[in-house]
Amino acid sequence: MLVSMSGYAQSKITGKVTGADDGLPIPGVTVKVKGGAAVTSTNTEGTYSITAGSNATLIFSFIGYTSQEVAVGSNSSVNIKLAPENKALNEVVVVGYGSAKRSDVTGAISSVNAATIAKVPVTSLDQALQGRAAGVQVTNNDASPGSNITVLIRGTGSLASGGNTPLYVVDGYPINAGGINNINPSDIASIDVLKDASATAIYGVRAANGVVMVTTKKGKKDGGAQVEFNAYNAFQSKPKQYDLLNAQQFATLANDVAANDPNKHFTTLANWASPSSLTNADWQNAIYRSGLTQNYDLAIRGGNEKVQSSTSIGYYDQKGIVLGSYFKRITVGENLDYQPTKWLKSATSAKYSYQNLNNPFGTGNLGNINQLPPTLDGGNKLTSQIKDANGNYGFFNPIYTYVAKNNNPIYSIETNQYKNINNYFLVNSSLEATIFDGLKFKTNGGITYTGYNGSYFQPSDSRKIDQYGAAAGASGTALYSQHINSTFDWLWENYLSYDKTFGSHTINFVAGVSQQESDYNSLGGSVTPPNNTIKSLSQGTNLILDANTNGAVNNGEVKRSYASQFARLAYNYASKYYLTGTVRRDGSSQFAPGHQYGTFYSGAVNWNVKKESFLTNVNWLSGLKFRGSYGELGNQHGIGDFTYQSLYSAGASATASGNLGYAFGKVGGSNGTYQAGVASIQPENDNIRWETDYVTDIGMDASFLNGELSLTVDYFNRKSKDFLLNIAASPQTGYNTLPSNVGSMVNKGWEFALNYNHAVNSDVHIDLGLTLSFIKNRLTGLYSGTNAISNFGGLGLTGDGWSEFTRTYIGQPIGEFYGYKAIGIIQSQAQLTALNSAAQAKGNDFYYKATTGVGDRLYADVDGSGKITADDRVALGSPQPKFFGGFNLGGSYKSWDFNAYFYGVYGNKILNYQESNLESFAQRGSVSIENVSKQYYNNYWTPTRSSNRYAAVHYDDTDYGNLLPSSAWIENGSFLKLKTVTVGYSLPQDLVKKLTLSKIRVYVSSQNLFTITKYTGLDPEIGTQNANPTQNGVDNGTYPSSRFYTIGLNVVF
Amino acid sequence: MKINKKYFTIAALCGAMLIPLSCKKNFLTQTNTTASNADATFQKSQDVVALVNSIYDGYQNSDLLKKSIWYYANFTSHDWFNDGGDIAWNNYTISPTFGALYTFWQNAYFDIIRANSALEIIATAKTKGVVTAELGNRLLGEAYFLRGMSYYYLAGSFGGVPLELKSNPNGLAPRNTQAEVFAQVVADMKQAETLLQSKTVLPATEKGRATKGAAYAYEGSAQMWLGKYAEALTAFNNTELTANYHLLPKFIDVHEFSNQNNDESLFEIQFDIQGSQSWDGGWQNGGEVAWIDDFSWPHELSGFGYDYGNPGLEYSYQTGDLRKNATIIGPGDQNISPGIIAKWGGIKGYQVVIDGFKNGTKDNSAQKYGSFVGDDGNIINTCGALRQPWYGDDLTRSGFYCAKKWRDPNLTGANGSSTIFGSQNQILMRYAEVLLSRAECKVRTGDIPGALADLKLVRDRAFGGSAPAVMQDGLTYDGKATTPITDPLQMVLSEYRHELTGEYSLFYLLRRAGPGVAATFIQKNYGTDATVTPQPYPYGPTADGKLHGVWRTSLPANHDILPIPQTAIGLNPNLKQNPGY
Repeated sequence: MLVSMSGYAQSKITGKVTGADDGLPIPGVTVKVKGGAAVTSTNTEGTYSITAGSNATLIFSFIGYTSQEVAVGSNSSVNIKLAPENKALNEVVVVGYGSAKRSDVTGAISSVNAATIAKVPVTSLDQALQGRAAGVQVTNNDASPGSNITVLIRGTGSLASGGNTPLYVVDGYPINAGGINNINPSDIASIDVLKDASATAIYGVRAANGVVMVTTKKGKKDGGAQVEFNAYNAFQSKPKQYDLLNAQQFATLANDVAANDPNKHFTTLANWASPSSLTNADWQNAIYRSGLTQNYDLAIRGGNEKVQSSTSIGYYDQKGIVLGSYFKRITVGENLDYQPTKWLKSATSAKYSYQNLNNPFGTGNLGNINQLPPTLDGGNKLTSQIKDANGNYGFFNPIYTYVAKNNNPIYSIETNQYKNINNYFLVNSSLEATIFDGLKFKTNGGITYTGYNGSYFQPSDSRKIDQYGAAAGASGTALYSQHINSTFDWLWENYLSYDKTFGSHTINFVAGVSQQESDYNSLGGSVTPPNNTIKSLSQGTNLILDANTNGAVNNGEVKRSYASQFARLAYNYASKYYLTGTVRRDGSSQFAPGHQYGTFYSGAVNWNVKKESFLTNVNWLSGLKFRGSYGELGNQHGIGDFTYQSLYSAGASATASGNLGYAFGKVGGSNGTYQAGVASIQPENDNIRWETDYVTDIGMDASFLNGELSLTVDYFNRKSKDFLLNIAASPQTGYNTLPSNVGSMVNKGWEFALNYNHAVNSDVHIDLGLTLSFIKNRLTGLYSGTNAISNFGGLGLTGDGWSEFTRTYIGQPIGEFYGYKAIGIIQSQAQLTALNSAAQAKGNDFYYKATTGVGDRLYADVDGSGKITADDRVALGSPQPKFFGGFNLGGSYKSWDFNAYFYGVYGNKILNYQESNLESFAQRGSVSIENVSKQYYNNYWTPTRSSNRYAAVHYDDTDYGNLLPSSAWIENGSFLKLKTVTVGYSLPQDLVKKLTLSKIRVYVSSQNLFTITKYTGLDPEIGTQNANPTQNGVDNGTYPSSRFYTIGLNVVF
Repeated sequence: MKINKKYFTIAALCGAMLIPLSCKKNFLTQTNTTASNADATFQKSQDVVALVNSIYDGYQNSDLLKKSIWYYANFTSHDWFNDGGDIAWNNYTISPTFGALYTFWQNAYFDIIRANSALEIIATAKTKGVVTAELGNRLLGEAYFLRGMSYYYLAGSFGGVPLELKSNPNGLAPRNTQAEVFAQVVADMKQAETLLQSKTVLPATEKGRATKGAAYAYEGSAQMWLGKYAEALTAFNNTELTANYHLLPKFIDVHEFSNQNNDESLFEIQFDIQGSQSWDGGWQNGGEVAWIDDFSWPHELSGFGYDYGNPGLEYSYQTGDLRKNATIIGPGDQNISPGIIAKWGGIKGYQVVIDGFKNGTKDNSAQKYGSFVGDDGNIINTCGALRQPWYGDDLTRSGFYCAKKWRDPNLTGANGSSTIFGSQNQILMRYAEVLLSRAECKVRTGDIPGALADLKLVRDRAFGGSAPAVMQDGLTYDGKATTPITDPLQMVLSEYRHELTGEYSLFYLLRRAGPGVAATFIQKNYGTDATVTPQPYPYGPTADGKLHGVWRTSLPANHDILPIPQTAIGLNPNLKQNPGY
């Protein structure tokens, strides 16, 4: 100190540090004299004062910003703008059992930070990933409150329901599927999506679908405390509606159909004879409403060198746009970090969430709304309205067969009582000790608890019987059902890590063991309650406990356990050449003893080219890195417990359906005696094994313009073998379905992420981001000996031929639509005669059916047999997009900020089943009629009104086949959505300060402002149903999305 | 508090070591507490019996019994029609996607595989002494019988089907020929004949199980499908059949609710829950809950009327044939079931009739008279009035209904007490069919007097003791006079129809008689032609020039067998579809 004082003249230097992005002062910036001891930090106004020698260099550093060195020269005042850190290189990414600097990572990892999440009001963090992470396809399966979302990381590797779900790890705890919905998005500090084998292999058998590492916000060490309050209210408009017939048009159509029915099968209701007298029932108008979402978050974060704490409370309440739908969530989060000594620290993350969700008319059911006849006349004798002023609900005429089966959904929603409550706890603590420099030991233990309590109450309904007597059928009895289940899951992991640099050699090593066990318990059943207030299974009669089916336990306990060992060694030479090797040996209780363990591994190389001497002076290039990795990863999603065992069942009880027993000893009119039956429900199969994915990744990270522009490109090839599935079996096996390792699939693709971040001056800042993902999926093999796999998984589309609507052949993308090739409408008797003659020349009876007539749909005779048969069905297009991506356009000007975010998919097809319903007069699969679209009504083929698109109307289409699954219902599913656009304004600092606050920002935003698409249905964003990739992209009446108008407030105290 | 680093380190390292040690093998071996595995089953004889019971259970299914076997046996003969969702049967345009066919296929194969694995498990159980040799043999016999019977109905309905004879097949076997399948039926039935118990020793508490007699009956029929009439005769003449089973004295009693498992019945599917209102699906999925007989009743009475008769069937009964109104009733005909009369006093006793008469209810607003007013102006006691038949609310039914399915006095249809589902057994095979089949064998082998003697046994009962010597239909379908039937084979076919229509065998027997025989027979009965839509009926009280759901479509060449279910082909691409579908 003395020496330096004597060597240099000391002078006082002052200045102000502001952000290059927003121009606001940055408090707490460390200002240091290079090579000296003097150090200070900026105050709340961003100013500092430091004493330094002339020609000294000052170093300005602050977390999240790029450090800057400034030569003072002779200046006494140095004002600088600190640029936010180049995300691409210096940010820390969270990897399994550790973290690393982005520049040191060998794997393919996409990250989304808190600031990005905050840009769009989202319910669930999955939604925040949409379009932000290359290679990650996020689809809102429908737009219902708290809706389910499909996240696919690098394509579809498995056919199992839920078999493509990534693993979510929250603050180090791998949580069970579905749990992620319980994490409040505003608690999240960062999301790191691990995509390639190098990054994910440390999670072994749960790694194949990628791993989403979620890190929640922690308190800072700076000694301060920060209170943050966020609120928004979003008004949601009524959705787009189908243009359907009103009562008058519908009755007219019904009368026409009855008059022209050759079978004289269909007759109309007497009072429909004068359509103008009918009361219109506009079901869409009754079921859709405008919605309102409210969200409030309050957090206090802070700490000092020893203790940091972050506490948050969140409340979310969405009233959906469909009557009766809502989603409410209360979240409480706490992060506590404590470092009592230099060598010991602990971290605790605790999350609680309460969810209350209801969606009485979920995906699929909404299609029924459009099918309901638009008149209730002749039904409830008290009212022909859906609901009248006295609270009477209309119903359909119970005597007239063709409408009797329909219900008034408004009555059901408003009368029935629903409850779906979820309680969720996640508590995870770790203790980390530094044994000596570089060697650390960490023990990590935690639990998650999920408790579900659901019930349904349907009061008795005798209205029809009261008015019509016995002819109206049986009266609706009351029903109460209740289901309770819980999952308790515990985890304990111990691992050692060693990080050390020897000269140019750096080693990072981690190795440990992990144990996890989950215990699921459930109980559920239903009763006829004694009256309309009792909700107790023990107070009712006819108690029926839910049956355990193969693969679903509704009453009882299931335990599942994992035991694992893992290790990773990363080595680099001079931050230039990197090698990483990872291995994990996983054991799972889901496989037969002797087959429980699998070993998974990966290896990766990374070459930081920019560090090579030949690029050191290439200034336009700020960074260049090549990555390559290969690994074998596991997937066990979608396989139930004990699938390896030979199982027998006695079926349901003697009096219930589905029993396996039989009564013997009946004589005359007396009953016999029931004897129990037992049958095999699953054969033994010890060879059930893990699905293995063989994943290759080649990537490049480049940045330019001092890191303002960055580009990441990845090519991947993911071969999935032995995917596990409880697959539909040929009945000749004796089973409906058999769990087995079914086949193989490949996903190949390219991912691009381009970011540009530029401060034009202290007032103007631009931020652009683009991600594009091209993924090609192919089924490459089926072990069953079949060459194709049909749709399965519970999406039942009614109608002639609709049991099969997708069929994936080997070599084709999963879930490809399958059906007849519609090539027009038969226009004349001559044409029909020619078709039939041609068919008869080849030994057939008719071209299609005996009843096929003029005005019916014409299909291509693909196999040339002369007759339209099931063999004429062909592939009709894939629901998987050729590419998808997101484009972010952000910027700020002084106190204003702006963000617009687009998401789009291109090249996919949608199966518009809904449209086939809107062209069907009969309710398919039932003796009933339904409403049709105006488009159809005004254009369907008649002898005097020709159409080559809309077939003639019939009562029952089964004889004519106009509504078969065919290319007539396949539509282009490409779309570009302006997902969100936001304008924010931060109040001036002096004003804010007067209010003793640090920041106030108000913003307005809108979601789903517009969608560019050729799709004719309500919303082209349609995902998979029941998480099953063979029933993807089918529009059977999804919960529609509509515009949100949001006003929000961020306050920091 | 001062934390001692050394101790902490030691503790931590010990902890790290601890997990692998505690990680014993059984941490990963969880016990299945929600489903029974093989180790937990078949330790006692009841379990083995239960294994065989589950094979019987596969037949308690309405898609299999009614919508596949019954539809095929009856709609295909044009004696009966469907009203509702399955009218494709009425003009022979059944689709490979018709859902019930897949259920039939599936249940039949489930039963076959259950039988295959039962054969293995029973053999082991016998060796281990879990079951006695006597019980073991009976159970083995039942498994052979039920497997053979499943193949019998599969091959009868679809032609050749894949033969699966092991317990864990891969399910991809292609179709065998029809002859190979019936040869397997013969083989299985022969095994069953040696292993099963005789009707005479089967305990009363086990009534409903297969017997030696039943095995001989199915063996004989299968031999006929193979054209082996001499072998069939041997089976039909076995004393297990001829000594142990008898025609009931009165034809009406055969299907009475109070006469289930009667002396004439060889094998019937058992149901066990009386008078249920439950729509819970028990009637579809193997439940004891009941059968859907009242779905065949007039819509006016039951609210259903999903199948109905061809008026020509009623007209075709020879004068004096007591089977007529025990089989089909229409306008002006009373329900003559003793059980129905005892419980309700006839049709007039049903609540919906009483109420409807009182209120003047009309099922269709176009009606002139109340639906429940008889021709004499009093409460109706017939199956529709002559002046106003029961066509149903939409006037699409013929006015004629199946009397064989209107016997359970507990049922009320969807009216009154809404007792829809009953427990009446369904007879698949009875001794009269054996006698008629034997007659056909005798015709085929040139023993015409023997054939006529067998026919006489059945016809004498039909005519209340002594049948007319000349065999002749009452009237043609369009009300014209008929000529005597003299060709012996045609005599047998006519008896098949008049004795067995509305049950579970008619069209099987017609197709068994050889290519083209059925189509010609139906053409002759109903004057079928190229029309594919309903035609006005030409004769009788329902001949008002309007359409009442009577088709006259000719049986197309390839449509005498059913299409292989599309879903089955999808899951086993080695299956080839039948031509013409």
